[in-house]
Amino acid sequence: MSNGTPLASRPGGRRAIIRVYAFTIAGTLGWLAAIFLAPYLQSRAAGRAAAVLYALFAPVCHQIPGRSFFFRGFPLAVCGRCLGIYAGFLGGLALYPFLRGFSRLALPPTRLFLALSLPIGIDGAGEGLRLWSTPIGLRFATGIVWGLLLPFFFVTGVSELLIWRRAGGPARVASPLEHGNGKNVE
Amino acid sequence: MNNERPEYLVPALIGGGVAGVLSGMPVLYCLCCLWIIAGAVLGTAILARNTSGPLTAGDGAISGALTGIVAAIVFTVLEMSPLGALNRNFVLRLAERWAQASGQSVPQLAQLRQLGAGTGRTLPALILGLFISAAIFAVLGILGGVIGVSLFGKKKPPAGPPPQGSTNATV
Repeated sequence: MSNGTPLASRPGGRRAIIRVYAFTIAGTLGWLAAIFLAPYLQSRAAGRAAAVLYALFAPVCHQIPGRSFFFRGFPLAVCGRCLGIYAGFLGGLALYPFLRGFSRLALPPTRLFLALSLPIGIDGAGEGLRLWSTPIGLRFATGIVWGLLLPFFFVTGVSELLIWRRAGGPARVASPLEHGNGKNVE
Repeated sequence: MNNERPEYLVPALIGGGVAGVLSGMPVLYCLCCLWIIAGAVLGTAILARNTSGPLTAGDGAISGALTGIVAAIVFTVLEMSPLGALNRNFVLRLAERWAQASGQSVPQLAQLRQLGAGTGRTLPALILGLFISAAIFAVLGILGGVIGVSLFGKKKPPAGPPPQGSTNATV
């Protein structure tokens, strides 16, 4: 992967990255919790509350029960593939501090993204063309593989946006001189 | 230094329009969130073509967020149309078939039947749904936008010393 940008080493840059990372982890944990909370509430006869949660996830998942894992006797709020993507996203977040750290921002290599997108792409295309029907476990696995890399895009993009805001706008062609102009971004 | 500010709106309208329409189509609806990400990638690709300088991850985030919001509006409009009813009936049929075959309970069935009969949607519910969709799609759009920058946003540096410290990874 490439070297980091001086953008992240500006005063406040590291703090911005950590803040984005923390909010992303909190959001992801909340999102995953809601996925499991829906069937849990249904099992506790809290049908209305469960319906609200199922409806929350309806715009982003078909929620077909035959393609979903079950929890306490009811389907999760998203299908197996979506669950894999979100679980992989959480896994990628867990790896982020070790692989990237909070002192630099860099996008993953394109080739790595394309390679990790192959399993989910091939599986999805095969199902769409009715060449095969994938078991839920394999859908989940292909989702995890793809989801692992996604936080490295998300955290990078949002962190850079946050650093821009503090710096009063982006530097479109970066150089150490331009970033090292003494501008205080605290 | 190239300070040209990209024009985010038109690419977001195109990418969001495509994503929203595809998300609202029967059967294609099953790919759901991936359409939003794909739409944001498309929007960023258009943005990269319309911008002379290289794009940064932050550009992708802005473009993607706008794309997601546009997609949410288009998706909500389609949901209120006969196409929305087709989608719900499609999922309802699959869910009923599965429930019959497996003998297991499907909590969404009652809600889907209600929506199919047109009795489950009030205006406040639709507006609330729009805001929630916009928030969720914006997050998915940010992801797609940054991925789009990785795929399409890198450009050859202008003549002269190459820029250092860009956030775009070199492959």
